[in-house]
Amino acid sequence: MAKKYRKTFAERNLIIIIILMWVFLAIVTGGRFSSSLNITNLVRQAAINGVVAVAMTFIIITGGIDLSVGSVVGLSGMVFATMTSSNLSIGMSIPLAIVISLLASAAVGLVNGIAIHDGKVPPFIATLGMMTAVRGLVMYISNGRMITGLPKEFKAFSSADFLGLPALAWTWIVIAVIAGLVMKYTKFGRNLYAIGSNPEAARLSGINIRLNMYFFYIVGAVLCGIAGLMLSTRLASGVPTAGQSYELDAIASVVIGGASMTGGVGTALGTVLGALIIQTIKNGGNLMGIDPFIMQMVIGAIIVLAVFFDTFFKSRGRRPKIFGKGKKVNAAQ
Amino acid sequence: MPEKFGEVALKIEKVNKEFPAVKALTDVSLEVRKGEVRALVGENGAGKSTLIKIVTGAYTKDRGDLYICGKQIKRNSPLISKNMGVYAVYQAVMLAKDLTVAENFFLGAQPGKGGFINWKKMYAESEKFMKDLGLDIPVRKNLSELSVAESEMVTIAAALWHNPEVVIFDEPTAMLTKSETKILFRIIKELKEKGIAIIYISHNLEEVFQVCDTITILKDGMVVDTVPSNTLDEESLIPLMVGREISEMYSKKEFEPGKEILRVENLSGEKFTDISFSVKRKEILGFFGLVGAGRTEIARAVYGVDKIQRGTIHINGNEVKIKKPNDSLKNGLGYLPEDRKDLGLFLPQDVDFNINIINYERSINAGIINYRKTAKLADEYIEKLSIKVGGPFQKVSELSGGNQQKVIIGRWLAKNPDVLIFDEPTVGIDVGTKSEIYKLFGKILEQDKGIILISSYFPELLGMSDRVIVISNGRVAGEVERKDFSEELLLTLAMKYYSNADLKEEVLNG
Repeated sequence: MAKKYRKTFAERNLIIIIILMWVFLAIVTGGRFSSSLNITNLVRQAAINGVVAVAMTFIIITGGIDLSVGSVVGLSGMVFATMTSSNLSIGMSIPLAIVISLLASAAVGLVNGIAIHDGKVPPFIATLGMMTAVRGLVMYISNGRMITGLPKEFKAFSSADFLGLPALAWTWIVIAVIAGLVMKYTKFGRNLYAIGSNPEAARLSGINIRLNMYFFYIVGAVLCGIAGLMLSTRLASGVPTAGQSYELDAIASVVIGGASMTGGVGTALGTVLGALIIQTIKNGGNLMGIDPFIMQMVIGAIIVLAVFFDTFFKSRGRRPKIFGKGKKVNAAQ
Repeated sequence: MPEKFGEVALKIEKVNKEFPAVKALTDVSLEVRKGEVRALVGENGAGKSTLIKIVTGAYTKDRGDLYICGKQIKRNSPLISKNMGVYAVYQAVMLAKDLTVAENFFLGAQPGKGGFINWKKMYAESEKFMKDLGLDIPVRKNLSELSVAESEMVTIAAALWHNPEVVIFDEPTAMLTKSETKILFRIIKELKEKGIAIIYISHNLEEVFQVCDTITILKDGMVVDTVPSNTLDEESLIPLMVGREISEMYSKKEFEPGKEILRVENLSGEKFTDISFSVKRKEILGFFGLVGAGRTEIARAVYGVDKIQRGTIHINGNEVKIKKPNDSLKNGLGYLPEDRKDLGLFLPQDVDFNINIINYERSINAGIINYRKTAKLADEYIEKLSIKVGGPFQKVSELSGGNQQKVIIGRWLAKNPDVLIFDEPTVGIDVGTKSEIYKLFGKILEQDKGIILISSYFPELLGMSDRVIVISNGRVAGEVERKDFSEELLLTLAMKYYSNADLKEEVLNG
């Protein structure tokens, strides 16, 4: 009876998987995978999707889903390009343009929040509509064409390095760390898990569901806006199709990271690791010369398997552990 | 065991089951014979539900043997146990809510041919079955259209439909009215005569003595004893369950009531009209009424969950506007709902989270939560309410149902608002913890707070309250002082605003 309950570290398995993958790839590619150039490239590629995935984490913990993330990525990049391009007449300063891009993103998040909380539209439908509408808006702003002529300093950001890591990767790390700390150590973060676990109980606990829901969707959208800016520094332009189908990688990262689609479960660290796993598979498959279409099939299978193993071991009463004896988990009823 | 029962229907030998932090069952053995009604009693977390889940195949045992009707079951599963004739009736309705009662009976074996269902036959047979049971429930209605008590009765009927050998009732009467409980007891008697083995789990010891032949007492996952029920009474049973004597269940401390703390004036809502009452410091105000009289609705309105149409709420003499639960929390009002699991529990989270969710302000410094402080508070209430858990960071989903309830009670006791509304606080709670909760009432009052106690359980209501407000059909039917307490008076008042004579009769006779 009196055995002390030990906290489990859910992300532990993911870290081990990544290390194993990296060691394996380093060996089979003869060190090409582990070259600093490739690793830098990998995290740079993972960074933008990674930020979108962190945004998605907030939404999935509420028990919802946000399909409009990719369109917000496109919107933010396109608004910025339109405001600052030397080919167009506006010529706004970079900081002001960033603020406006993020405000535009936030507006999308707010509308999502209102439709979902007040309109009682299921998140899947509300954000599906938003995804389509915002993409249409991006096309309308840009006339369906790329906008080039972005400020030099802005374009330089994508190739900038700091302490051996790309600035884009640092952006991701900073965002993920702040998100992780907020979720774990602030009342706001606890409200997120409370609402995701049981909205009615959260309301009876004095949590203002409306404000919190608005806030989650706005935070998610602003993070996607940041990802949009990151993407446009890489592309050095505003691209009307930028961010298309980003929602899929984001959902996959969150789910591989251990979140539950029914809400209440998930962490920023788990999502970051999930995003790294996906990018590692893409990058490693590329280096090994595997057909990218086959890699797509592999990633699809991994998403399903990750969730399958999670539920499988839970129903068997054992949480999988890669090393050491499995630890029993189940309801002692 | 006495010879009056038939052969052994269910045999469990030295069954063991372990969970992360809890040894749920240790060498549990028992035998239930045909025609025997066996009670399984014990405190929350004693292992009753775990044992049942092993019998029904929802859990796998770690060690031990299980025999159903003489046949050893090596690998059990819900399907295997059902095929062997073991049916369990839980509190929660486990049927398809959007199908008719008849369809639920025939689920998976609908009559008809060529892929077409013979609806006529299905309804006719279901109707006959219901009639034979003496139940008046329309079989053509969807389950979702029935009342909670009716669907509970359908769940019971659906288990009997399959001609079971062993029927397990897990707190079957919690959702039933008195008249339905009577029907259930009659059905149990008939099953017994047919030679069906019955296991009956309940915290309500009165019922246990009423319907059971033998009693198996579980404590901390071990069998304390199995005895014929006529050799014991409630008083001698409780120490066996709890492991100690409970000298005084309702240990009410007498206080001189202080200043008025909460006053509600002419409150009207959808289900109640012109409700006025007040609570003083150091006072327990009881709320009595029949099921559906509006007590819970009044509490929800005062707490700001449901909309108020008219009326005012005053705290410490000042009128306050309460539009949402957060307003009442800020004004020192708390509400512990009856449906604690659905309205209170954050199932994917740990015990620490569940206790601290309304208490984080105590552990937040400059916006940052200090988990050492939260865990300390959680530990304090784990100990006070003797919650069986490995530590504050264990997930509540890994706790037994009764312990989950205690976690939510702990949350509110930790919050310690000026006025705390308890809605049926001890439903589903074991006797040992019940007496702890009543003791904590005293501690709350000692701190100059007030309590509103909504309860349908007379011993609790009359034992703990200073005054009782009786609600009848959404209106205040009267206020009774402690010196005038009597069950008859409260019941008479509770029926004051109902015109239906049948209802009166049912309640009085029930």
